[in-house]
Formats: sequence, structure tokens, C-alpha cells
Amino acid sequence: MSERFQYPQDREVYSAAKVKALESLLIEKGIITSETVDKVLNYFEKEMGPFNGAKLVAKAWVDPEFKARLLKDTPSAIAEMNFPRGMTGAEGENMEAVENTPTVHNLIVCTLCSCYPWPILGLPPYWYKDPTFRARAIREPRKILQEFGLTFNDDVEIRVWDSSAQIRWFVIPERPAGTEGMSEAQLATLVTPESMMGSAKAKSSPSF
Amino acid sequence: MKLQHNLGGLEGLGPVDFEKRVFVEPWETRIFGIHVAMMALSQHLKEAIPKYPIDQVPTNFKSTWTWADLRKGAEAMHPFDYFKYRYYEKWLGGISAFFVSQGYISQEELVAKTSAYLKGKGSIPESRNEPIDNQIIEYLRVGDPGERELAGEPKFSKNDTIRVKNVPPVDHTRLPGHLRGKTGIVDKVYSGFYVYFCSTGPDGLGEPMPVYRVRFDPKEIWGELAEEKSVVYADLYETYLES
Repeated sequence: MSERFQYPQDREVYSAAKVKALESLLIEKGIITSETVDKVLNYFEKEMGPFNGAKLVAKAWVDPEFKARLLKDTPSAIAEMNFPRGMTGAEGENMEAVENTPTVHNLIVCTLCSCYPWPILGLPPYWYKDPTFRARAIREPRKILQEFGLTFNDDVEIRVWDSSAQIRWFVIPERPAGTEGMSEAQLATLVTPESMMGSAKAKSSPSF
Repeated sequence: MKLQHNLGGLEGLGPVDFEKRVFVEPWETRIFGIHVAMMALSQHLKEAIPKYPIDQVPTNFKSTWTWADLRKGAEAMHPFDYFKYRYYEKWLGGISAFFVSQGYISQEELVAKTSAYLKGKGSIPESRNEPIDNQIIEYLRVGDPGERELAGEPKFSKNDTIRVKNVPPVDHTRLPGHLRGKTGIVDKVYSGFYVYFCSTGPDGLGEPMPVYRVRFDPKEIWGELAEEKSVVYADLYETYLES
């Protein structure tokens, strides 16, 4: 996209200075503090991030009854786990899980903006926020997934979930073959944020 | 109509940039933090289900700022600029314009300070205030649920066939444009009634209403441009549906 438009030479340097000026003024005016932004960022680094989702999926993989509960009543199943307080907080008030199987692959999109299940996955990656993804995924998910390196047989149904209201969708990816005997902690290392939005499969080996 | 409300199905855009980072420049983290703070200190939280003591939070921010306000800013952009500028560049533009238009800062002081920082002059002031930051973190932990008391009966039931209304286009909507006039099947009636952050006027959002998960056959939406063996689900507020 950036080859299509002209940008000023100092595009990033200018934005960095402008946001610093804005933050500085907001602190001066008593709107926020000099610790506010760092505290918010720290919350997403330490407490709400894809590491939560990875733990959730790993448990669903080893415990089929937990997975069934997670699919039936997502918030209640999440509450069973020992996550920090906030799993029904901002952008987590209405999270819902869907499951990938050998015959169903789910892809999440927000065609209107970038709605994303913050407590379980943290903040959305750029591909998910990209208007090109948002425009194309809703009509040609199979083609998009192919561009992302995933090919599906004709017998696999692709379900695209548009987060256009209060629900924040996420995906339980399939457990990769050859992972029998792995601990939950090891399994969690295979779960990527992309696999929990349907744009990738879980990793098959921790060595990647 | 706005391109931003009608992205679904737009063709000729080329490959998706599969960028996995959340932030691609360090400065983007700052505007993200500012947006969260604004939502957490917003006057609208006085009506939120969690009883935030908004009047007691010692901030000079006395406005309403929600996801709807951020989205409206992005949706008000020239459609080509919407593609030209990155995600957080749009946030920076919209949020700094908001603070200027609401009178918290002046355009002159923003420009002056930006110039100073461009020359490497000056540092961010130090200022602590735990009650402000506590409210912000508490908002992150507790959220702002849209669910409200039941205010009647849902019009539609599971397995009903519905058609998406062609509501008048306005400045902001939660109706994905490609669904206008399309027929779908109610897959789930979400329990409860849901508000939206603001009224969207003739578009119909605002007051508590049911929300439905609707299943669409892609051929209904895209005709022969639909892929085989796929299904589209969208969550739609009741105001967007008719029998």
C-alpha cells in the first residue's frame, strides 16, 4: 500500500514528536499522568495477552470436557482458570470461542474496524487491522488463507465470523498431530495468536 | 455512503500484508495508551453497569469518549486517506483533533510542542496521580458491558429467515454494508438487550435492543463471486433486521 501514496520524508519522526507533544500536553493539563500510558502498556505486556489464550487452548486440548464447556459457555469456562482479574473486562465482556475441526475452519474478521478479544489475545496484529484483510476475508477467505500459507480440501467448510456487534470471537485451533504426551505448558507454546483468529494453524513443533 | 462502511467485498486491493506485530513504530504505543485512558475516564461511564466513581476521579478530562467516537473519526476521513494512513496514524489524527476541538489544548500549542520535540528540545513532564491511573486500570479489568435489562421481547427467533434493512446511510454504523438487503437465517438470539455507545440516528442504534447471530450463504451476498463451501456469520442489532 505504501508504494501507492506519497508520504513526507519525516513521516514517523513527525508522528513520534506529535504524539509526544500530545501526551505531554495531556499530562500538563491534568488529564492523564506521566505514568498512565506505561501502566496501560504494562497491563497488556504482563496480564492480558496471547499467553492467556495459549494456556486456554492447551487446556482445551488435554481436557475434552473443558473444551465442551468452553464452547458452550465461554466466559464461565475461562473463569475456571487461574487468570488475572479482568477476563471479562475491556473488550472481553462478551467473548465466544469456536472450534476448528478436520471439516470446519473458522476465520475471524471485523469488517467495520478491528474488534478483538483483548483479555485472551491482547491487542490485534496489523494484518487483522488492515482494510485489505477486512475487505477481502469476508468474501474470499479460502484465497486469503492460501496467501497466508494454508490450503484446505473441498470438504472443509470455511466459516467467517464478522465481529460486528458485542461478541469478540476467537478460535480454538486443532491440536497438531504428534503432540501426544506433551504437557499443557509445552502445548501452550504451539498456540499462536494467528491460530486463535483462524489465519494460521497451531505450530506443530516448539522448535519453530 | 462511506467506503469505510462498505469495505466488505472491495476488489483489486492486492495481497494482505501479513504483519504480525501489534505496533510497527514505538510511537504508536503512546496513542494506544491515550485512547484507553480517554475511554476509562469518559463521562459515559457514569451510566455503565459497573459503578465507576467517575465524578471522584481527579482528572480534568470531562468529556465522553468511547469506541464510537474513535470509529467516527476514522469513518469521517477521506476514503483514500483511510487506506493511505496506518491504523494508529488515524488514531493520532482523530484523537489530537478531538482534544483541540473540545478546547483541552490549542492547535498552536500542539504545533509548537511538536516542533520543539522534532528539534529534540524538552522532555515529558512528571506528574503522578494514583486515583487517575487506578480508574484506568480498573476500567481495563472490569470493562463496559453493553448488556442492559430486558426491555421487551426479541422480534425474531432462532431459524427465522430475516432480511437486512437498507437503513439510511449516516456518519456511523455497525451494519456491514455488504449485508444490506440480504437474506439470512437467525442462528442465535443473544440473551439480553444491548445498548450502543451512541445513537446513530436514522441508522437505528442506541437504545437497548436484542442482537442476533445471523448466518448467510455467501452466494446470497456475492453471487458467483462467492467461494464454495463457506458460510458467513454476522452479529446484527435488531434495528438492522426485518422479516
